[in-house]
Amino acid sequence: MRSTYQPPDSAIYADQLARLAELLRLEISEDDLKALSDQLRMIDALEEAELRDMPPILKMDADWHD
Amino acid sequence: MTDTRSLINMSISEAAAALRRGETTSVALTEAILARIKETEPTLQAYATLPLDRALAAAERADRELEAGRDRGPLHGIPIGVKDNCYTKGILTEVGSKALQGFVPDYDATVVRKLYAAGAILIGKTRCHEWSCGGSEPPTRTPWDLERFPGGSSIGSGVALTARSAYGTIGTDTGGSIRIPASINNLVGMKATYGRVSAYGVLPLAWSLDHVGPLTRTVRDNAFMLGAIAGHDPDDANSARVKVPDFTAGIEHGVRDTRIGIDRDYFMYPGVVDSVRAVTEAVIADLARLGADIIEVSLPELALTRETLITIRMVESASYHRHRIREKGHLYSPGTRATLQMGEVVLATQYVAALRARERFRAAMKNLFRREKLDALIAPTIPVPAPLLEDVWQPRDDMANGETPTAGFVHHVYPANLSGQPAISAPGGFTPEGLPVGYQLLGKPFDEATLYRIAYAYEQTSDWRRRQPPQVYE
Repeated sequence: MRSTYQPPDSAIYADQLARLAELLRLEISEDDLKALSDQLRMIDALEEAELRDMPPILKMDADWHD
Repeated sequence: MTDTRSLINMSISEAAAALRRGETTSVALTEAILARIKETEPTLQAYATLPLDRALAAAERADRELEAGRDRGPLHGIPIGVKDNCYTKGILTEVGSKALQGFVPDYDATVVRKLYAAGAILIGKTRCHEWSCGGSEPPTRTPWDLERFPGGSSIGSGVALTARSAYGTIGTDTGGSIRIPASINNLVGMKATYGRVSAYGVLPLAWSLDHVGPLTRTVRDNAFMLGAIAGHDPDDANSARVKVPDFTAGIEHGVRDTRIGIDRDYFMYPGVVDSVRAVTEAVIADLARLGADIIEVSLPELALTRETLITIRMVESASYHRHRIREKGHLYSPGTRATLQMGEVVLATQYVAALRARERFRAAMKNLFRREKLDALIAPTIPVPAPLLEDVWQPRDDMANGETPTAGFVHHVYPANLSGQPAISAPGGFTPEGLPVGYQLLGKPFDEATLYRIAYAYEQTSDWRRRQPPQVYE
């Protein structure tokens, strides 16, 4: 069954990241947090739409023409 | 005996042949390179460490072995530089970092061990950006233009080679760090298939994206070097159990009926400047003239390459560095520290999503190669020639989409790191201002031989490899 999940707005990601950074006592600039939140949102959107049969394994095989 | 200037300009193949004809010795080659280093280093600063006594002693041993009839192959007696993120027993290994200042490993990286076994002479450790990513700029400069970006992170590996202060060098490539300096310095750089070359003993940037590989001045030299350093390594869990062929065996067979794809939507996007576009189109036209079939292809999955790779890179880098940064964070430059620690705020679920996105991308690339029966994809290595140092992070007017050069680099080199497929950068020509422009070929996993065959065929049509940078050392 296809999910109808839509990732939240980028600002919500940025807020989550900022809180995590604070908890971990990491100094991360606002610009960096914004870029990272945009990046993660795009991958989250892809996850539900197109990654259902994709396990997180990198396997190099030599059979691209077989 | 040949004069010093002629010696340093030889390729590995030429030097190896001269050694066997008795026209030179490993000691003479090493001394010629050391003299060149003395001449170039004050300006270029390609090397972090120069273990000179060891190099000369090793050269003497190499000569004695050849005299005794023990021939270790084409690298026997040839001075080679190794990037300073590779462990070298008894020799400083600092990866451009104050946090590792004074560090002397007690074992060799597998790539170094294999070079020694092949008879190569370790001439020096080449400078790299801090921890192979770097928010700080090393003092290394390219002789092609001292004011321009010399490439990175294998910055010294590119500069030493183009300055003729090494015959070959080792670099590493997590996001283009072999191919970018190769393109900028008129060199051949091979990022072989993930797992083809052991990464054991190489300080990681991101384990699942890191590749170790050779830079050289000619395609055949590169094939020799890859042959020497490739192979399964039980010490590296990611090392591939795949036979290593003689990469030079079919190198002269030409490109007739070879199928080469070009995704113009992605690799010729508006960020490609006119001079690079012209060079790349000329390379494509020459390959077609040589008999290759050029196929227009489309791979929409390329679009998320950057986001996927950076997420993986960030998390793996943060995992490796998080304890050291807490203990020695003040010994990281601020930009590097920010880059290396940011992955700590990425959730485990988001990292796994990125790994799955990588698998989707790899599957799509594989399907493209199968569907179109491709032997390779072709593209500019990077969409701009070497930018001025102060412009590396600045939007450019001549990149039609207003990107920064760095964003352009990422756009073109990340795909092969993400898929793990092999990719070679080779000299494709020059801009009207005289700056080198490289093109890259992406191939099928463990089929580096085909990339060498294509690049060699093109290399024979031009004299780009013979062009030398301005003599800027006086």
